[in-house]
This record gives sequence, structure tokens and C-alpha cells, in this order.
Amino acid sequence: MFGWIGKILKIDLSSGKISTEPTEQYIEKYIGGRGLGARLIYDHYSPGTDPFDPSNPLIFNTGPLTGSAMPGSGRVDVTAVSPMSKLRAKSNFGAYWGPELKYAGFDHIVIIGKSEEPCYISIKDGSVQIRSAENVWGKDTLETQKAIQQELGDPETKVVCIGPAGERLVRFACLITETGDAAGRTGMGAVMGSKNLKAIAVRGSGAVQVARPQELLDLSIDVIRGIKEHPAFQELSNWGDVRFQTVMWDLSFFPVGYFEDVAWQEIIQGYQGPAFVEKYKIRNMGCFCCPNRCMNFLSVPGVGKGVASCEPFSGFTGGVWNLDMDVFWQATVLNNRLGIDHTETSASIGLLMELYHDGIITSKDTDGVAMERGSKEAILTTIRKIGAREGYGDLLAEGQKAFASSIGPEAVEKLDQVKGLAPHPYEFRAFKASALGQAVGHRGDPLPLRSALLEVDWHNAPEWFQKVAKEQFGSEEAAIPSSYKGKPLATIISEHMERVPDNLGICKWVYGLFIFQDVEMATRYFNVVTGKDWEVDRLLKVSERVRNLERMFDVRQGLTRADDSLPKKFFEEPLTKGKYEGAVIDREKFEQMKDEYYDLRGWDKKTGIPTREKLEELDLKDVADEVLGKP
Amino acid sequence: MRFRRRNEQSVAHSERGKVNPMIKTLIVDAAKCSGCRACETYCSLKHEGYCAPSKGRIHVVKWEREGIFVPVNCMRCQEPLCEMVCPKRATYRNYSTGAMEVDPYRCIGCMSCVSACPFGATFVDQDSGRVLKCDLCDGDPTCVKVCPTGALTYEELSKETYLKLIANADRIPALVKTALGEE
Repeated sequence: MFGWIGKILKIDLSSGKISTEPTEQYIEKYIGGRGLGARLIYDHYSPGTDPFDPSNPLIFNTGPLTGSAMPGSGRVDVTAVSPMSKLRAKSNFGAYWGPELKYAGFDHIVIIGKSEEPCYISIKDGSVQIRSAENVWGKDTLETQKAIQQELGDPETKVVCIGPAGERLVRFACLITETGDAAGRTGMGAVMGSKNLKAIAVRGSGAVQVARPQELLDLSIDVIRGIKEHPAFQELSNWGDVRFQTVMWDLSFFPVGYFEDVAWQEIIQGYQGPAFVEKYKIRNMGCFCCPNRCMNFLSVPGVGKGVASCEPFSGFTGGVWNLDMDVFWQATVLNNRLGIDHTETSASIGLLMELYHDGIITSKDTDGVAMERGSKEAILTTIRKIGAREGYGDLLAEGQKAFASSIGPEAVEKLDQVKGLAPHPYEFRAFKASALGQAVGHRGDPLPLRSALLEVDWHNAPEWFQKVAKEQFGSEEAAIPSSYKGKPLATIISEHMERVPDNLGICKWVYGLFIFQDVEMATRYFNVVTGKDWEVDRLLKVSERVRNLERMFDVRQGLTRADDSLPKKFFEEPLTKGKYEGAVIDREKFEQMKDEYYDLRGWDKKTGIPTREKLEELDLKDVADEVLGKP
Repeated sequence: MRFRRRNEQSVAHSERGKVNPMIKTLIVDAAKCSGCRACETYCSLKHEGYCAPSKGRIHVVKWEREGIFVPVNCMRCQEPLCEMVCPKRATYRNYSTGAMEVDPYRCIGCMSCVSACPFGATFVDQDSGRVLKCDLCDGDPTCVKVCPTGALTYEELSKETYLKLIANADRIPALVKTALGEE
């Protein structure tokens, strides 16, 4: 096959049974990557099973374009049922593991069961071994990768693994590959730990076949040349996203603390991120074959080396009222080594700081550590204790809600969560499409979406962005942050766009957000590599099917319209300062946006559940029959 | 029959009488490499028609945890060991590009050149046993076009500089041995 390898690998860790299944039967309807993964989990998961039950499948998904050499072709989607929300989990990581899996002979891996003893999986050129992890159990994520490469005698083996946090079933433990590329969200590390599975090592000398190789080469040379002239490239490949942070704080898009404040002058004026990066950066790095090197490889003497991008830059600074970049880096490295999600960890610390600040907890509730805003001790000790499941860290490892419940209703009242997860730390009061996208999103954190970025950029050139919104989303108002109009359609279109690169196994930053702002280029590459002749609309139709299937999975898990919401803070406490002072979400208009969203989607307004008619239109009759009942 | 003689004379000979005595060759600047593996992957796409870094004629040696990446490619030595050890004289210099190439019809797959290369820059296709050697894409190297960082460049050098470069390649293994205290 061109693009796809053609094989899905299935491993049962309980019995040691290894089998394969052809990929081909799924590709017309789901393509690959995230979409095909959604179908695999729908088929392999028995409703009602606990996320830590051995039968919860942990599924790794590459797409037809993963490993295809095109810029940004290193992505892998991971899914299971999340131990945080009991809904479908979704996480995605880059670097070099995904392409290597395809060269080793597989598109997807479905892992079920639980090994009696700690183990790791080694896949080399089509052969699969389940090996003892005796020597690596307990090791951190960097040591684990090194030890496995040494044990297998091949330094070019690519390893994705869990750290001590995953072994201890910290519910938001993540997967780590290389020095900090992570499948961060939704607790995939905990699911892997629950299977006594420490790592998956892959090595392959095989190939991704290409239908039109000369065209792929010519196109890529052009695209790489174009990307190198793109302003986003200049910024990303030199700075990563560290310089975006100040802009976002200034804009009130990034909140401070536990969504407590915006426009915190100290951080807007005193953020030392760029200076820190300049001082300690060895180089910028990216994923497989990607010219956009959006990660800073930092080397800080006495702390450690590794990559940083995106989330920790705001989470371990503004998110926890911290201006000391050394603390930011210590927290980041510690988290990476333990294998814990940055977003959930910084939000958990933010929660403790808010509770402490409001006098709801004292240092007695946190083993004598005063959870002062910005306190170095508070930040680093909490991370260590979560990783070790020690003292209050043991409770936090069960999730923010478990901790708050142990304190009392006053603390539970403070929780800012969406579908059991810390929402992405964006200020939803001012930005209505961000708010809607987050509320209806598939895991409580679907961002970033194109519709949200338009709103954020709008102030730079209102008329221009309104024009773009009109062209892309059908209404000028879709770009205006304060408006409730046009947002539902913009969100739907963005959700479909987002799933195209995810289904293809490529980077959505490149194909949909920062370099190419639609999915034309991704479609062109898809056709060149696979030899198909699909229109953009056909790929978007698959996205719609995937979105509905994902929704139906969650509906089967008990999701309803009421779950599509936001913390009440956003409806009740207007912003007190900043560019969008006074902004708050009007509950009635918010519910109207949801109505419109469900209507446009062909979902039932009352329940938020896709209708049989819609599901049948999308060729998901079997799903409708199972979840909605036979007509 | 291919006309063979000492390389230095040959390179000089091939340039004689030309208006521009400049020579282009591939230069690697490892300090700029981000380890993305585009060079390996597009090399296989160009030469094999599919994407497989393992079939590249260039290879990036990576120390991920240190952030150090070194693209390894043929150094086109002045006195190439790959050429000297070949029992079938299958390895030869292409005088129009300076590349050391392998004649697949003469090659018997003995791997002598692979073992002899002091830089580990002569690769082998593990499936077929073929020797994979950089041919500089006949003077238009693909890896240079796709390298996003400028770690790989195809530069025009004066004849003198070029000769120094390939003479240096001969000296590097000896220098490394001295540095390691082996000689």
C-alpha cells in the first residue's frame, strides 16, 4: 500500500498473544491516525469497564502520512478510556517514534490485558517481543530510554515510556519520548502503568511507500522553501513559542493563577522566558522531518537538559504566580522525568494556591508546605509528592476533585474543570469561540482550534480578520471575540479541519494553524503519497464522521449536554482589568450558542446526542443501533 | 574502461583549461543540525522512490539527550580507502562531481568498503546487501535542498581549498587515533 503500512498490531499482555489485522478495511471511512483509532477503541472497549481494568485498550495510531518525509510527519495519536474522565482519552505526541513504528511494520498498536510482571514491548522490523522491565521499572523517563537502548544494543531504537508517576497510577501521568516530547493529557501514562507496561521500543529499516515519489520530492522542496520564508517559521525555529507568552498575557488570553487574574502586570513586564531561552538554549529542535523547530533544547547547569515548548512556559510561570525561570525549568524537568502532564500539574498547584490564598486550606492540609502564590517550595514539593504519591500528593494524584473533596464543599466549589480535566489555560470570558470550543470539546480540552486563534488575533487587524472569518467560517462576527454570533459554525468547521492532520498523522500546527491555515496542502500531500484522488470535502467528511463517532463513544459512557459546560467562574465573575475588562460569559447566550451548535451538527438539542438521521448519513448505522437502540 | 590515476592529478587534470576552476562539494556543519532526519529520508525518496531513512546515503548520528547531531556523509577522501580495498574496482570517483560511486554491476557485496571507511559513511542496504554511497545526486544534492537549518550546503570552493578538504579527510582518522593515544 502507498502511505499506510497495512497492518494493525494487537498485543494481549495477559496471555502474551500477538496478532495482526489489515488496516485497509478501515481507511475509506476513517483514513488512519486519530480517526481510525476512534473506531478501534469503539470496537475494542467494553462499555462500563474501569479505565484501570486490563481490558481498557491502549491504542497508538499513526496515519498514512506519518513517516512520509513531508514537513511535520512525525505525529502519533494515543487513545484509551481516560482514568480522569472515564471518557475517550486523546493525546498526541511527535518526535521520531511514530515514523520508526511504521518503518518497523505497523500503522497502529492495540494493547490490551495486563502483564503479570513489569514488561516492555520491543518491535523490530515486524517482530514483536514482550521483555522483562525488571531493570527499568522505577527509573525516570530519560534513564529508561537510555537503559532500553543499551539493553537492545541499538542507540537508534526509539522509545516511548512512562516514568515513576505512570507506574504509580498517577491519574494524569503521561508518556514521554526523547527529552520531553509528551503525550501529555488525559492520563495515558496511568493506563500504560496499569498494564505493567513500562515502554514500547521500536526500530525499523522498512519504508513508507509513495505513489508519486517525484511529485512528493518536488512538492516538498517547494513547501520547505516556502515555510522557510514564512514569518511563523522565523519565530518558531528561533524562539519556539516562548515569546508568544507575553503577548498572550497582555491580551488577557492567558489567565494567571487558577483562572484568578488577568493582565498581571508583574508578568507582562517582568517575564524572563525569552532571556532564559537565549541564555540556555543549545539549539531549537523539532519533530521528524520538520523545518519548524518549535522546541527549545535547553541546557541548564545543575538542573538538566531537554526540550521545552508550549504549555510549561505559561503553566509553570503565570499559572502558579512564578516569575523565577529557574523554578520553571526545575519544574519542567522534574515533571518530564517523573512523566506527569504539565497542564494538569500546574493547574493542581494553582488550585492549592487559590485554596490557600482564600484561607480554605492551611499548610496543615499540605504536609506543612505553605501554598503561597509563586512559592518555589510549594511548586517543586507538590510535583515531587504527586510523582511519589506521598502525603497530599497521593490525593492530588487521584485528581483535583479528589483533593478538593477531602477538604470540603467550599474547596469543591472552587474547582475549575471541564469533563474531569483542567481546561486549557485560556481566558474564556473574553473569547466566546474559545469558550464554546472548550465546552463542547471532545475531552474537555480540544484547543487550539482555528476559530479560537482568529479571535485572539482579531485585535491586530480587525477588518482583515473579519474578512478571513467571512471567507472561512461564513460570518465576519466569528472573528470578533465578544460576539456570540457565527461561533457555532466556526467551531464546527474548525473541529473538522483539526481532525484532518490528526487523521493523517501529521502536525496540526503546520497544516491548519500556523503555516497553512486550511487543509488544502494536507489534502494535496495525502493524494500524492497515497495515490488517491480525494477532494478536501471528502477528508472533511471523514472528520465529521470521526467527530460523531467520538461523541457517540462518550455518549455510550454517559455523556450528556450538561457535560458541555465551563466552570461557573466564567459566568459569574467578570474580568476585573485588562484589555477585556468586564467580560463575562452570558449563560443564556452561551446556551443559545450550544443550541445552534447542536442544530448545525444534526444533534439533539435537548440531550446533545447525535441523531440517528445524522449517524446514518455518516454511515454509522451500527453505532446508532448500539448506542441509541434499534428503531 | 575507466581511466584511473592518482586523484590529485586527476582532479587537477579535469579542471585544466576551464574558465572557472571552482569545484562544488557538500559541506556539513554539524553545529547547525537539528537532527530532523530530512536528509536521510529525502535521500531515500530520491534514490529509491520511497521514504526510508535506513536507505539514505547520509545518516544523522544523534545524541538526543545532549542535543548533539552529526550528519555523516562521504568525505570524498583524497586517497579513499573504499576505492583501495575494493577487490573488483567497483568503487570509483566520478570526476565531474568528485563523488565516490559504486558500480552495481561490478560490486560483489563483500562489504570491504563499508568496513574500511574511517567515517562510517559507506552504508549498506540491510535488505539487499547493496552498498549505498552518496553520489551527490549528480551535482544537485537533494539533502541540501531539504535541510532546513543550513547544516548541509553545496558550496563552491577553489581548487586549492577543495584539495585541502579531501586531503584533510585522509588525515582525520590518524588524528583521531593519535588523540585517543592509539598511535
